[in-house]
Amino acid sequence: MQDFLELAVSAAASGCVYGLVALAYLLVLRPTGIINFAVGEWAMIGAFAGYVLLTRFEWPYPLGMALAAALLALVGWLTERLTVRPLVERGAPVIAPILALLGMLVVFRETISLVFPPDPLPVPYPFGLGRLELGPLAGSYQSFFILAVTLAVFAAAWLFFERTVAGRAFEAVSLNRRAAALMGINLSRVTALSFAGGGAVASIAGLLVAPNVSAHYLMGVPLAIQGFTALVIGGVGRVEGALLGGVVLALAEQLTVRYAPIPSGYAQGVPLVLLMLFLMVRPGGLLKARA
Amino acid sequence: MSGFVKAGLAVLVLAGVPFFLGDYHNDVYRKLLLWVTLALGYNFLFGVCGQVAFSHFAFYGIGAYSIVILLFQLHLPLPLAALCGVGLCVLFALAVAIPSTRLEGFYLALATLALGQLFVVVLNEGGEVTGGTSGLANYRLPEVLGLSLRGPAYTGVIVLLLVFTFVVLARLDRSWFGRACRAVRDNPEAAAAMGIDVARTRVTAFTLTSALAGVAGMVYAFVDNTVNPPIFGIENAFLLLFMVIVGGAGRHAGAVIGAALLFLLPFWLAPLVGQHHVLVFGLLVVAAILFKPSGLVGIYDSVRARS
Amino acid sequence: MTASAPVLEVRGLAKHFGGLTAVGGVDFEVHEGEILGLIGPNGAGKSTIFNLIAGTHAASDGDVRFAGEPILGLPPHRIAARGILRTFQHNRPFGGMSLLDNVLVGAHVRFASSLWSIVAGRSRAEERERRERAEALIDFVGLGEARSADVTTLSFGQGRLLEIARALAGEPRLMLFDEPAAGLTPPELERLATLIRGIAARGIAVLLIEHDMHFLLPLAHRVVVLNFGMKIADGRPEAIRADPAVMDAYLGSYAAHR
Repeated sequence: MQDFLELAVSAAASGCVYGLVALAYLLVLRPTGIINFAVGEWAMIGAFAGYVLLTRFEWPYPLGMALAAALLALVGWLTERLTVRPLVERGAPVIAPILALLGMLVVFRETISLVFPPDPLPVPYPFGLGRLELGPLAGSYQSFFILAVTLAVFAAAWLFFERTVAGRAFEAVSLNRRAAALMGINLSRVTALSFAGGGAVASIAGLLVAPNVSAHYLMGVPLAIQGFTALVIGGVGRVEGALLGGVVLALAEQLTVRYAPIPSGYAQGVPLVLLMLFLMVRPGGLLKARA
Repeated sequence: MSGFVKAGLAVLVLAGVPFFLGDYHNDVYRKLLLWVTLALGYNFLFGVCGQVAFSHFAFYGIGAYSIVILLFQLHLPLPLAALCGVGLCVLFALAVAIPSTRLEGFYLALATLALGQLFVVVLNEGGEVTGGTSGLANYRLPEVLGLSLRGPAYTGVIVLLLVFTFVVLARLDRSWFGRACRAVRDNPEAAAAMGIDVARTRVTAFTLTSALAGVAGMVYAFVDNTVNPPIFGIENAFLLLFMVIVGGAGRHAGAVIGAALLFLLPFWLAPLVGQHHVLVFGLLVVAAILFKPSGLVGIYDSVRARS
Repeated sequence: MTASAPVLEVRGLAKHFGGLTAVGGVDFEVHEGEILGLIGPNGAGKSTIFNLIAGTHAASDGDVRFAGEPILGLPPHRIAARGILRTFQHNRPFGGMSLLDNVLVGAHVRFASSLWSIVAGRSRAEERERRERAEALIDFVGLGEARSADVTTLSFGQGRLLEIARALAGEPRLMLFDEPAAGLTPPELERLATLIRGIAARGIAVLLIEHDMHFLLPLAHRVVVLNFGMKIADGRPEAIRADPAVMDAYLGSYAAHR
């Protein structure tokens, strides 16, 4: 039982990271219909920002994290302005920006690998490597930190969508672009904001996972796949779905590795199999959107 | 000049090239021919049928691995092994395509992306059967009809594959099937109203092009006489997509130009950007989508139209 | 028209959306070479009936027979395969193909060559023959000057003609026109009316939904009038013109919108 609870905490932490990436997808997908596969690279850049600001310049953690998020918000905003907006304004089919973003994925990744040395670079733990025991739950400081930050981000996202005017605007745009525009909602501002938000959230995901795996220019695509699987599992309709999907995915991964009688390398296959399964059997995900 | 004669000439010219090239260049030439073959098939799927998929290299790999495993582990005779290899590709393609027809647009792409990655995972973990991360090696193509197809003769086999693929796809493209694919791409509802079974067209196109990729894979297995996992991963799947976009999706010439350019570009760019030629590809793709979606072929057409 | 069996028989066709009855049990027939107009004020259920026959929506009740065979519930592509082809109100050309290829897609159901014969190069004769027929159709509908144009640059009226040529290419026994007059200029309307008469003269049954009475009444052989999902009149245009129930329906809906 203790074993399982430890696994649960560790899975929850991984699930939170996947959930954050899924949220980054969601922020862009809802109002624009665009699947931004570059979010994995944004997370990766967040990890590298963590390396530069926290390891090299040794800034205090909160400051480093905030600046990393701000930096990626800017990257997201620029990406939208330069590569997505011209296409949307031209009336190009939604596949066009999706493919352009695939091109950008490669551009981001190669640029980082040009600038930084090829070996994985260390990113510090904000609370060091200790263990924490909260009642029956036990796990590393990092795991609990990840849980806390993720819950804060999701709470903020939920509040944004449910309680703020800007958030309602997002909802309106995702339901019906034309109607939203007729109501006076500035479509390009919503789109710009969604990409900036996606960037910031992705960078936090990258920063949270980086201490465990180090910053490496190849970490983007696996995260992008895991994040997207989390999104599909949880469903696109609700913000909470992203987190639920992430946790379900992480649990499935860790349970498979721990208890299934197959070689551990197959753990990488878990998100892939789940993705295919959900896409084919339940593409709407586990949580339905609120009517 | 009849089509048959044209095809024959093409085979002769292309197959004659290796006699003028040294060993190293021959190797590059063979790889180039294979990439062009793959790009032609992928172009039909993506450009003509409008399906974004990342599984093309997985099928290339299924073809390559299955022919090696069937020939050298199960000791099947060559024709049977080849048939089984194609059969496997068809089965997997149907297994992916049939449920996917219900998915909207890019979701098919993601299912195929997952499939592609999963294939590599299975290869890596396949132990004795797949040779794990180092793959399979140390085998040779058995004699075919008493002929030992090595060296330049094998290049001839690749050329035949390329011309065969081209002829099949060109004929399909110009037929009601090619039009049905384009109609499904451009406006599925109108296509259905004209009698086109949208789901069936998509499944057929996917299965057909995946099977062609599998056949190409079988030919590939004997080029280096080694098969290993990294080649069949999504990196190359992205590269194939980029080739077709930059060259000009929907046109055979686009596939050929795009494949040739992006395959040869790294050799020329190496002194400038070293390993990071992919960065240039990414930029080219973004530029193509933003400024000239019809690709290099589109640029050529515009220039011709003006003069 | 003729006393022969109807090409299309609709009996008790109904469609409910939740609590709302869009179509509440409608009967009518269309004969070979006949132009039947289905009219009614907005919201009368014309488009719903059209979609039920064309296979894009599922009916809640009723029976639709084409050449004696039931077709209700078949998907659109099977309806087309039976010989019923349609136009779209908002033109839907295939933007990535030439004009000729657009028309050739309409002939899809008439191609007999298998994939094997295509790959073996044995389908060229059929392809050539169909191309010639398609070229003839392009002239028949009056798109001759635009034959090498990019379909995305066609005017609205030309796009409408393309819709018609495309559907005709399939050699239908029944053609469904979805508000074909919408958005056309008076000279284009004249051409359209002549074209539709020409189509019916070839023996093709025509079912036309339209809410422009001025266009429809001189054109149709018979008219069915709908209101609130029910048939309120069925007869020759002169009779319909004078029918008080019809006038009520149109004036009523007109009054309701004041």
